[in-house]
Amino acid sequence: MTSSGLRAGRRDVIKGGAALAAATMLPAGVARADLAPIPRDKTMTLIGINSRDGRWVDYELWNPYAIGANHQNGPNLIYEPLAYYSAFADKMYMWLAESFEFTPDFKQLTIKTRPGIKWSDGTPFSAEDVAYTFNSLRDLGPKVKWGVDVHQALDEATATDPNTAVLKFKIPSPRFFFFATYKYDIGIYMVPKHIFDGQDWTSFKHFDTAKGWPVTTGPWKVVESSLQQKVFDRRDTWWAAEQKLAPMPQILRNIWLPFVGEQESAQALITNQVDFGGSLQPATFPTVIQKNPKIITHAGQKPPWGYVDWWPISLYVNNDVAPFSDREVRWALSHYIDRQQLIQVAYLGASSVSSLPMPPYKPLLPYFDAVKDLLAKYNTLEFSPKKGDSLLSAKGFKKRGGMWEGPDGKPFELAIIGTGAAGNAMGPVLSQMLKRHGIAASLSLPPDFDSRFQKGEYVGSIYGHGGSIREPYDTMRLYQGKSIAVPGAHLVNFSRWKNAQFDKLVDEVYVTDPKNVAKLKDLFRAAMEIWLPDLPDIQLVQNYHRIPMNTTRWQNWPTAENPYINGASWHLTYNLVLWNVQAAQA
Amino acid sequence: MSLIYVAKRFGVFLLIVWLAATLNFFLPKLSGQDPVESKLMQEASLGGYVHAGIEDMAKEYQHKFGLDKPLWQQYLSYLADVSHGNLNFSIANYPRTVAGMIRDALPWTIGLLGLTTLFSFAAGTLLGALLAWPGAPRWMRFIMPPLWALHAIPFFLLGLVLMYVFAFQVPVLPIFGGYSAGASTGFTLTFVLDILRHAVLPALSIVLVSIGGWALAMRGMMVTTMGEDYVTFAEAKGLRSATIFARYCVRNAILPQTTGLALALGQILSGAVLVEVVFGYPGIGALLFQAIEENDFFLIQGVVFTVIVALGFATFLLDVLYPWLDPRISYRRT
Repeated sequence: MTSSGLRAGRRDVIKGGAALAAATMLPAGVARADLAPIPRDKTMTLIGINSRDGRWVDYELWNPYAIGANHQNGPNLIYEPLAYYSAFADKMYMWLAESFEFTPDFKQLTIKTRPGIKWSDGTPFSAEDVAYTFNSLRDLGPKVKWGVDVHQALDEATATDPNTAVLKFKIPSPRFFFFATYKYDIGIYMVPKHIFDGQDWTSFKHFDTAKGWPVTTGPWKVVESSLQQKVFDRRDTWWAAEQKLAPMPQILRNIWLPFVGEQESAQALITNQVDFGGSLQPATFPTVIQKNPKIITHAGQKPPWGYVDWWPISLYVNNDVAPFSDREVRWALSHYIDRQQLIQVAYLGASSVSSLPMPPYKPLLPYFDAVKDLLAKYNTLEFSPKKGDSLLSAKGFKKRGGMWEGPDGKPFELAIIGTGAAGNAMGPVLSQMLKRHGIAASLSLPPDFDSRFQKGEYVGSIYGHGGSIREPYDTMRLYQGKSIAVPGAHLVNFSRWKNAQFDKLVDEVYVTDPKNVAKLKDLFRAAMEIWLPDLPDIQLVQNYHRIPMNTTRWQNWPTAENPYINGASWHLTYNLVLWNVQAAQA
Repeated sequence: MSLIYVAKRFGVFLLIVWLAATLNFFLPKLSGQDPVESKLMQEASLGGYVHAGIEDMAKEYQHKFGLDKPLWQQYLSYLADVSHGNLNFSIANYPRTVAGMIRDALPWTIGLLGLTTLFSFAAGTLLGALLAWPGAPRWMRFIMPPLWALHAIPFFLLGLVLMYVFAFQVPVLPIFGGYSAGASTGFTLTFVLDILRHAVLPALSIVLVSIGGWALAMRGMMVTTMGEDYVTFAEAKGLRSATIFARYCVRNAILPQTTGLALALGQILSGAVLVEVVFGYPGIGALLFQAIEENDFFLIQGVVFTVIVALGFATFLLDVLYPWLDPRISYRRT
């Protein structure tokens, strides 16, 4: 063999080896997208919150009704709603629907859709799509998300003309349109009938970028979706911009990266690799802002580093389990909790207390006012161990060795379960606080928390309230034990508290026009006269969304001074943020 | 080697796979949790709102996944499915299939852990051999103590340190991910280099930690081998030092290392879970971690089954190949 021949052979081997190594390193699943180059300052890169361990496991699932799909991971940009609602601005934005009207008995709803809207494949959007979406949900019932909610109310939806959908209800449904409206995580995703018809909604993925799927009416098209990134490019023909309903987004490309970890997110924000960074813990913000002064939060550059979410957090105790079935015991627990200390230790002071199980949003303030005197009498935030001691002593509890024992001589134990950020942050502090006052509290963070909690297989639990944001029905519904107004209704009632009079009041609220604030205030007050003395669960703190936003490339993020919407990228209203942000260097 | 021997070894391989697959089926069920209900309840409380009718929904999907059948029927279905390569749907990510999810993750793991395992094996073995060899340069003695020290550090901890230094303080390498945000994906040189660039830190954290282990084991074997009569005989014959090193010492000392390599290659599927998690590397270790978190029976079973088959196959291959590697070993009856 000649030396030149030997050299050539070695090169071949090296080339072959390199090609083999590269081929091994190139995962088959990513070899698909050739993205058009778009400058970084026209791109918005964010870190999502729901990805798992650095990957988008659901990257193929663009049908938000598929059981493994999650609207928080991108479908919230694709499926436009009938209307948006901003609780911060207390404003309804009519969207695919131009108007809606109920009959006086709330048993029929007429929805007028906007003319001139097209799906991204050119098919006109019409009332047929609206009627099809609602009827399909009614028929699918428990098989898909929102199916049961629609099934228990809707009789039939009909498109009477291309822009009119008439919904007939089995029961008065004064809140149905608001239920379908996008706010936080609630709302009905309108789907294209010409694509979804004939598909199995539970398994249909609605994903094929070559076919232009997912089809959308919105300003974004999916150009790449993989384990590593979801990329949305702006569509230059968006009906809402053409109809001057919204500005055309200045962002040309959205890149959604999976969440890897708090430290990785912080580093990516500091180095300007991302523009919007998931959700961070209070302790991380001072460092991030010190290293990158362009990072802001809803609250500016100071605690609490975010905004109050709709989810005030409580210590739930199972009202079916003794001694927590006794309201005096529940009040005693409430008196043992120093909420300021809880906030100081668990959140480094970056939180606030919650007196009722609904957030103090502007449209709800009249209802807080309506029970001000009741709250003074039944102070759900009072820290008074002495009152706690006397309540327990009056019930026959005795202290031995600094710990309470029940009238039967058994230790007074409280096994608390928790989940997520709230469980991690508050659980250890809360259990320690109760121990100091003689209650043998323990904490665990079980993986099947949701299942145990929702089925009532718990004694104590740290959890929030996904209730009201505009009027009190949704929060009151959380405590309803039985409903006559909604036959076959699936009830929440996590605390297992029961009161027939309260149930009746909730039913009365259900059939009341949500616009009739005076009547609703009276009913809410009457209900709180029952609820507050009983204290089904123990009020703790507000839940905060602490989201870092980078102003290096993009400005006009939603803030306390400019609260056009809550800023969470995972909520159904995030599209409003994307239309409103503006390039920092125009 | 006879065909009967291969057939026997293959039979043992099948037996191991069946036993492990059986354990794999029953173990996740011992938790007593209902993955469908857990998943749906979790979804139901998504963002705080509680969807109605979750119990009905859970029943629908338990039926769909066959989880409402008696356990023995589920077990038979499972065996029938896996024997046909059908790993079912992921419960937590329906309608994604387990096979599809493994297919997504596998190349990342093989790419990262496969190459790093081979590299650290080769480098560690060579270093270990040279360390024991009296003719090795003196400076080599200074390389090993830090590598042995690194060997005592968990992968992920070193990964965090490397990330802090090379991605944050001196930002020359990416913080996380398999490739850059917004990268055009395809078989182009730019994209391959981008992937390799993203693999540097996780790969380095694995290589730096494991290289010391391979070196340590090889050095021990070399010391033993160098004391053998045939090495003394080779020296007495006046053979070149390099020949004695490569053909007499390394060739014999490397055999236990080869066994270790085969097992290590089989284990790469279970991966360096925490390295993948720390660097947001979408490999199979992180997938298994996620499946356990979600109690996704089918995904756990699918990943573990793949690992079992890989390990079993690696062992089977080693059994078959060993007589060729070491002529002293023979499976023929005497």
